[in-house]
Amino acid sequence: VIHAPVRLRICAALEPVREIEFGALINLLGISKSALSKHVSVLADAGYVTQRRGVRDTRQRLWIGLTDTGHTAYRGHVAALHQIVGRGK
Amino acid sequence: MFQVNWKNLEFFLDDDPTPLRFRHGNSRVADMETGGSISAAEASAALASVRGSRARVAWTGYPRWYWLTTGAGFAAMPLATLLPTWLGVVLIALVAVLVARSAVVVGRARGVCEHWNRAAMRWQEVTLLYVPAVVVMMAGSFGKEIAWWLPIPAAVIVFVLFAGTGLMLTRKRSALRPTTRPTTDSTR
Repeated sequence: VIHAPVRLRICAALEPVREIEFGALINLLGISKSALSKHVSVLADAGYVTQRRGVRDTRQRLWIGLTDTGHTAYRGHVAALHQIVGRGK
Repeated sequence: MFQVNWKNLEFFLDDDPTPLRFRHGNSRVADMETGGSISAAEASAALASVRGSRARVAWTGYPRWYWLTTGAGFAAMPLATLLPTWLGVVLIALVAVLVARSAVVVGRARGVCEHWNRAAMRWQEVTLLYVPAVVVMMAGSFGKEIAWWLPIPAAVIVFVLFAGTGLMLTRKRSALRPTTRPTTDSTR
């Protein structure tokens, strides 16, 4: 689930913060709205991210955050990547 | 919801290209994330993209005025020592409120909600940004005992150090473009 490049970058962006707004995540990752929506849905189905609707400046915004399961899976994945890189040296 | 036991984290890395396998107490997560194959080059590229994403979250979206006003706020600290004590305390309190308020406003404008106890910036970046300014701020404040005018150049240096470092790091880190890596990307 996480290893797909865009989803890995989504998790990497969400890991150090509480939540990121959908529009801000588009700018950070440099991908289209539909692509981000698709990847976030996959992560949400896996229980890795939460989506919360909130209102700011009279406009509804979608805030995305990593769940505890998402944190665990992401850290495990990054740890595994570090192991692989370490073995390759 | 899920019980995770980090002590059970295991890696199975015997084949080449290395299977990306980890298993821990949460069997559902382990099942979902186990079984793929990945080369060291691909893993290295993935880690680079992870670092790039973190850096962009930490530094992208800060407006120029944030660094300038926060730098000016920090620069006011040594200058407060030149004022009568009560006025200095009032000034410091006002500046602290303004700096905290501007951080909240900027966070909302950036669309990034950070934790109160930790941020996306790495500790090295936090050290580079704050420590030199704080050291000069303290030196300038205590330097008043040596010469009354010392807090003035200290304030200028604090402003230049903080605003300059903030502006430079924002520009540098924001310039990191999202990276792609050679792999079979999918939306599966």
